[in-house]
Amino acid sequence: MPLHIKRLIGVFAIFIALFLVMRQVLRPSSFGELGHFRAKAIYENTLRPMHYTVADSCTKCHKDIRSDKDLGFHFRLKCEVCHGPGLKHALYANQFKNKELPDSLILYKPGERKDCAICHNLNRARIKIQFDTINTTMVHMVNVMKHHVTDPKTKEALKCIDCHNPHQP
Amino acid sequence: MNEDTIKLSRRNFFKAGTVLASGVAIASTLAPYDGLLFAAEAPGAKGKWYGIGIDINKCIGCGKCANACKQENNVPKDPFYFRSWVEQYTIKNDGSILVESPNGGIDGFKQSVPDNDIYKSFFVPKMCNHCAKSPCTQVCPVGATFETEEGIVLVDENYCIGCRYCVQACPYGCRYIHPEKGTVDKCTLCFHRLKKGLQPACFEICPTEARIFGDLNDPKSKLNYFLKNHNCMVIKPHLNTGSKLFYNALTPEVR
Repeated sequence: MPLHIKRLIGVFAIFIALFLVMRQVLRPSSFGELGHFRAKAIYENTLRPMHYTVADSCTKCHKDIRSDKDLGFHFRLKCEVCHGPGLKHALYANQFKNKELPDSLILYKPGERKDCAICHNLNRARIKIQFDTINTTMVHMVNVMKHHVTDPKTKEALKCIDCHNPHQP
Repeated sequence: MNEDTIKLSRRNFFKAGTVLASGVAIASTLAPYDGLLFAAEAPGAKGKWYGIGIDINKCIGCGKCANACKQENNVPKDPFYFRSWVEQYTIKNDGSILVESPNGGIDGFKQSVPDNDIYKSFFVPKMCNHCAKSPCTQVCPVGATFETEEGIVLVDENYCIGCRYCVQACPYGCRYIHPEKGTVDKCTLCFHRLKKGLQPACFEICPTEARIFGDLNDPKSKLNYFLKNHNCMVIKPHLNTGSKLFYNALTPEVR
């Protein structure tokens, strides 16, 4: 074999060895176990904090509201739809029985007209919703900004929840 | 025809035949390794294979899903960053199409077109399609985004270099660059909730149960029941992304 070919083979061998060493050093430990990615990243993705709980954890304590809600049209709605994420409240509010809750545990109480309008305002896109054979879903639509805005006797501004109980509309 | 041309064509015939035969042989030996083309295994694999169903007929456009997604996953509150959002399609009598999504639908929708001009109008909730042959994972130069065995497309935040290739590759516009982290962020189908046996936040919160979530491999799952009983379709089927987000009552206007 000519000398220059031997030298070339040597140079190639050095390059390949260098590549293997660098690959070993630079590659993350779990890379390639399941595919072209770090297998550990799957576990890391499960570590994020939760904010929403499940409906059952609300009704464990708020039994009266559940019995209210089961009779009304809002029986399918979960508490967090209106009140916002409540995992912290569900976990820690028990410790504050007969005491005042700290601000971070108090959930949002929607009562303004715009809160009801999010689902119930007039919109042509909502009209086609009909009774389904499997699930009954239908939303009652009113012109929220014109529907009984003031009390006819006292002339005071009215909120939706002054007449309609949101738990049992 | 003289003798020469016959000789030549016979030689060409053997040449072409050899090339064809060797090509077939090579392709058939490589066939078992076509898994390299797709990161996740195709449907029919064992275990869970998650899919999503959305009933457009039931969506009332309350935007609670978009809001829940932002709260659950700490998505920036600015109106440019969404993992999940709702669009309001309005088709006018003259045939023109108007698509609106003010703040992703979180603050509710208003119909900007007078009722007399509307032919029809509907809401379309959008989110990551969790494609089985996702274009976004194929373009990643460092392997920072991948499909899990359950068919969920995830991002490795610690490995992403923020090159934005995947943002451009996604045909559904479901990825964004997180302004603080500088890495890409997308719907994880609330992977942290799934692993605890809970539903993703947007499915948990939907007031009309327009969103159905389930295992496509389980013939008794709610999702398979939904798919059997409705005319379901994916968005942009011609792109062959293997999308697993099925819409009932999807019309061709939706892109």
